[in-house]
Amino acid sequence: MALEDYRGDMDMCCRCSACKFVPMQKVKGFQYANVCPSISRYNFHAYSGGGRLNIAASMLKNGFNYTDKLLDIVYNCQMCGACGVSCNYAMDMEVLEPISEFRLKCVQDGKTNPALNKVIAGLRKTGSMVPGAKGKRGAWAAGLKLKDAAKEKVDVLFHVGCLTSYNKDYWKLAKATVKILQKAGVNFGIAGDAETCCGGRAYQMGYKEDFLNQAKKNMAMIKKAGVKTLVTGCADGYQAFKVLYDRYNLKGNLEVLHISEYIAQLIAKGKLKLNKKVNLNVTYHDPCRLGRLGEPWIHWKGKKIPGDRFVFDPPKTYRRGTQGVYEPPRDVIKSIPGIKLTEMTRIKEYSWCCGAGGGVNESNPGFATWTAKERIEEAASTGAEAIVTACPWCEKTLNEAVRESGSSLKVYDIVELVEKAI
Amino acid sequence: MALSKEIYKAFEDVVGAENICDDPAIMPAYHSAELEAVILPKDTAEVQAIVKLCNKYKLPFRPVCTGWTGMFPKGTIYLDLRRMNRIIEINEKNMYAVVEPYVISAQLQAELMKRGLNFCIKGAGTNCSALLRGHGHMDQTTSGDDRNHLAIEWVTPEGDIVRSGSLGSSDEWFCGDGPGPSLRAILTSAVPPGVTPGVFTKAAVKLYHWPGPPSFPVVGKSPKYTLSEIPPNLMARYYSFPSVEKMWQAEIALGEAEICYELMGFNAAMVACNITTCNEEEEVVFEKMSKEVQGPGFFVIIAGNSAEDFSYKKKVLEYIVRKAGGKSLKTVEDPEVEGILLCQCIRISASIRETFRAGGAFNSIPIMGQRDLTIKWAIGAGKAKEPLIKEGYIVDDGGAFFGWGVEQGHLGKTEIFCKFDPQNAVAKKAVEDWQKSQTARAFKERYFASTMGPQDEIGPALSNYHLWWRKLVKELDPNGVTPEGGALV
Repeated sequence: MALEDYRGDMDMCCRCSACKFVPMQKVKGFQYANVCPSISRYNFHAYSGGGRLNIAASMLKNGFNYTDKLLDIVYNCQMCGACGVSCNYAMDMEVLEPISEFRLKCVQDGKTNPALNKVIAGLRKTGSMVPGAKGKRGAWAAGLKLKDAAKEKVDVLFHVGCLTSYNKDYWKLAKATVKILQKAGVNFGIAGDAETCCGGRAYQMGYKEDFLNQAKKNMAMIKKAGVKTLVTGCADGYQAFKVLYDRYNLKGNLEVLHISEYIAQLIAKGKLKLNKKVNLNVTYHDPCRLGRLGEPWIHWKGKKIPGDRFVFDPPKTYRRGTQGVYEPPRDVIKSIPGIKLTEMTRIKEYSWCCGAGGGVNESNPGFATWTAKERIEEAASTGAEAIVTACPWCEKTLNEAVRESGSSLKVYDIVELVEKAI
Repeated sequence: MALSKEIYKAFEDVVGAENICDDPAIMPAYHSAELEAVILPKDTAEVQAIVKLCNKYKLPFRPVCTGWTGMFPKGTIYLDLRRMNRIIEINEKNMYAVVEPYVISAQLQAELMKRGLNFCIKGAGTNCSALLRGHGHMDQTTSGDDRNHLAIEWVTPEGDIVRSGSLGSSDEWFCGDGPGPSLRAILTSAVPPGVTPGVFTKAAVKLYHWPGPPSFPVVGKSPKYTLSEIPPNLMARYYSFPSVEKMWQAEIALGEAEICYELMGFNAAMVACNITTCNEEEEVVFEKMSKEVQGPGFFVIIAGNSAEDFSYKKKVLEYIVRKAGGKSLKTVEDPEVEGILLCQCIRISASIRETFRAGGAFNSIPIMGQRDLTIKWAIGAGKAKEPLIKEGYIVDDGGAFFGWGVEQGHLGKTEIFCKFDPQNAVAKKAVEDWQKSQTARAFKERYFASTMGPQDEIGPALSNYHLWWRKLVKELDPNGVTPEGGALV
């Protein structure tokens, strides 16, 4: 669907400001009531979900007048979808979709962000979203003697993802995942150097064609290899394979699981036992694209029924962020002996973003860290010693915030804790 | 229309480059008004400096909080008060809270509930400012509008800082009327234009006892948050009655008995909005509930201070309702539905569902006064809605009105609205005509509707208040920098 197709949704915005805050029942005090990093940081209403819809609707009506300020607004958004969840508590309308379409249109019209252009140039050259990626994608697995899923029959393809593959600091996540899968006796493989970026982050940045190219490459490889199940530890990758590929009818019957879901299944089936004690007080950060944006795509085509109500034929089921992956990571954490899990104020569908999404990590790292610092502060307020997440991009941004703020909080990916427990 | 470089620089020097913008790109987010600039002051001193500059350069300005409505004359300086979002004080002993304009009611209420306190929240919802003005669901206990105003810090249209009530003579916020200047009639005008010129930068609001839990045990996921259990000594019910007269009889008796924490005269359509998660479901539930009710009704929350108090209140409620021939709606007796309503109607978190979800817009006529009389007017306004429903211009809510008791029924408010699709020009015009004609009827029949106007028409019937008001405004605002209209939500 194009931006024009969301005209009715945008016109539904009543400018109530619900998109700025967590759903009202969930406001637990003065602190941590905000849900949108962009409006929280930049304050002008234009940076809120509603403001973005107001602007896009106006431009559809009056023509697209691109100014530097407009592009500042467009690109200073993590596309985290929190605005939509809060709005959709009460309203039946799309919020993130038109915001996303507006960004796609900006890119289509050549109104891009230089920093993001650089990242995309890198993607086109190296198949990776990590700027300056060098070396082989599968280098992290050297000496591990893992199966090559492109050549050997495996039950599960472990899609490692760009950041974990190319940033040596995060090789530990891939290696932890390997240990866990091996311990559970899973017949898995990796694509190694044949793996390429899922394209999800390119889509968030507005580069739809690049996303589609990546998606087609990945699915061609997957089909050729006969892979039926894909497991990834990257929330961006999870959302790309599961939601975006499905949206563009590219996913086929591929089963897509996040590593936290898969581990939860292995534990439930008795294939993985977490025996070792990990004495740690932790809190859990829901990655946006595993949580609210990780819920399945709903294929729908219909028309507004003329009349007083904003209703459709056939009825439209909105994706309100409720069907994301929330319980499996929590179940896994709770399964680890010795761990105490304390929840933060903003969790699950109304979780506060880590700051890394939507290209903000690359185009405005200061804003990304500002956002992550707020999360670190919220995590520390629970009394936890560590914040656990389930995405390398979150871990990286949260680590940067910890460094900058001088916090003593530790940051872990869920696989690191599971690795300690097996 | 852009500000000159000199003027822009003068404002920028006050708030910093990051907090002023005149780029056309942001204007659609500000009601598509042709504004000179949007400025984000962070405190009273900055507001004062901005207002003085507005006077110096003869620029009209208007302050706005979360701001879902507003009319802005061309060339207005828009003061977005978003950065003024601090709770200054919660005084438990003297039962008041001092807030800045962009503290939303949800934040203040959450802090208050932890302390066994609550306050009057505007019916517009907890997503709106906690500062001043407005009636809402809990008026039965918390009263409404200017009854809750204590001391106020006010930047006048000329840029002077006036501290009203006790704040005028000391650092205390406990009273709006003294020792110190009261200014109640100027600061809290309820008649058109309904907006005080200048900027309220801090205000104390009255607090009330909250007998419920420090927080609700909310479980589930948006858009269906429920309660894991009904907190002790709390109950929500909806009662329908055989006639308006019987309903009113029960309302009066309940007010006299002082047993209801909340008495909200929802119609079935509004209950359906509250308990459903989408438009389609709402239509189905409304149809079902329309068959379930026997006539007009209201929603009640009972909150006991102890098990004994709760039991007493429940017994009195049941007795009064039975005597008036009332019938409890089975749908609301379901603990899940009861929990949803308890939470939403205390936390005022579903007003958007009640108003905007269906079609995107609503036009309303609120009438203040004795409920039995205002209901009679509302029945007529409801009948006038029927042709619009028939034409498909507005959502079919059975032509119903709603309302609530204020201060245990000593006062009351009745309201009626039409929900419609604002993109449908014919429907919009029909609704506007309905609003105009029914407001005129209210005026003619000597009711007070806040939609009444213009002042020249209604003023003569109200002691020529408009002439006095204009004289006051002229004194307060000699440079004419505070245009009429708008709303501070």
